[in-house]
Amino acid sequence: MLLRASSNAAGTEVDLSATVEDTADSGVENGAALTAFAEAVVRATDDLDAVRARALETLGPEKFVEAAATVGIFNGLVRVADSTGIPSDTMMLEGTADVRGDLGINRWAGAKASGVAEARA
Amino acid sequence: MSFPMSFDPGRFPVPVRDDMAAALRESWADVGRPGAWWTGPERVAIAGLARAERLQRNQPPWTRDRSRAPAAPLPEKAVEAARKIGADPMHLDREWADAVIAEIGDAPYVELASVVVTTVAADAFCEAMGIDPEPLPAPEAGEPTRERPDNLSDIGAWVPVQVIDWKRANVARALSLAPEGVRTFFRMVAAMYSGTATDFEKMVWDHRPLPRPQVELIAARVSALNECFY
Repeated sequence: MLLRASSNAAGTEVDLSATVEDTADSGVENGAALTAFAEAVVRATDDLDAVRARALETLGPEKFVEAAATVGIFNGLVRVADSTGIPSDTMMLEGTADVRGDLGINRWAGAKASGVAEARA
Repeated sequence: MSFPMSFDPGRFPVPVRDDMAAALRESWADVGRPGAWWTGPERVAIAGLARAERLQRNQPPWTRDRSRAPAAPLPEKAVEAARKIGADPMHLDREWADAVIAEIGDAPYVELASVVVTTVAADAFCEAMGIDPEPLPAPEAGEPTRERPDNLSDIGAWVPVQVIDWKRANVARALSLAPEGVRTFFRMVAAMYSGTATDFEKMVWDHRPLPRPQVELIAARVSALNECFY
C-alpha cells in the first residue's frame, strides 16, 4: 500500500506485481536493481557480490546505504509481524484488497492472522 | 580490557550516516544487556542461535548443522524459537507459537523475538553492505528485572499488546510485552527506514536520500520473499 501511495504521490504508476515476480517492471526508477539487490540478500544468492556492485554503481554510495538499510531492517520487521501473529492494519487490508488475490498474497501463512487466508493451490 | 567499538565507521565500504551507525551501535549493545526475562549471556546466546541458523537458511532445516551448543543454557523451546524465527519466518504459525509460549511464557517469548529481530536486521544490513557480521556483543552481568507491562490486551495477535490510545501501525506494538525490545529494535527502524513519525506520514520523503517509492519497493520485495502478509 505504501509503495502505491508513495508512487502516486511522486506522479508515477507502479506495477505491484514486481513485488512478487522477478520479471515485472515496477515502473519505479532503478526498480530492477533494487529488487534484485533485495532478493540477492534475502536468498543469499551466489551472485550477491555482483548484484551488490551493480546496486552501488546504479544508485551511488548515499542511496546504496539507504537501500542496504531498508533490506536489513525489513528482514527484522517481517519477523516482528510473523513471530507475533499481529493482524494487519485495517487501512492496509482495505487499500490492498484489489491486488492481494491476484498476487497470491492471501495464500501466505500470515494471512490467517488477518482473517483473509485463501487455501494454497 | 577494551573492546573495539561495534559498527565502527571504518568497517563500511561506503560512508554510513552517523545517526544510523549510532542506532546500530546502541541497539547492538542492548542485545548483550540483561532484559526483563533473560540474562545478558542468555540474550547473546539467543542472538548467536538465530545468526547461525539464518546463515544456513538456504538449506532445509533438517540438514542444518546444529552441533554447536548455545553459548548459555536455554530451554529447548527457546532454542527452537531463536532458530525458527531467525531462519524460517514464513513457517511460523499460531499452534507452534502457543507451544513455545506454554513452555517459556509469553513475555519471555516476545523478548526472545525482539533479540532475534534485532540480530537479523543488523546481520542482513551487514550482508547488504558486503561486510562480515558484527561480532556478538559482550554479555553484561545482572539479573532480569521480571517486570511485565500492564494494560496489554488481546487484539487477535498471538501475544497481548498495548491498546490504550494506539493510533500507529499494529507492527509497532507487536513487541509490547518487551518494552526494552521495542526501544532497541524501533530505534533501528527509525534510523534505517521510517525517520520520525512525522517523516513517516509523508508520502514524499525529504529526510532520506532515496526516494520513498524506491524504499517501499525494496520493503515490499523483502516482505514478499519472506511471504510476510503483514
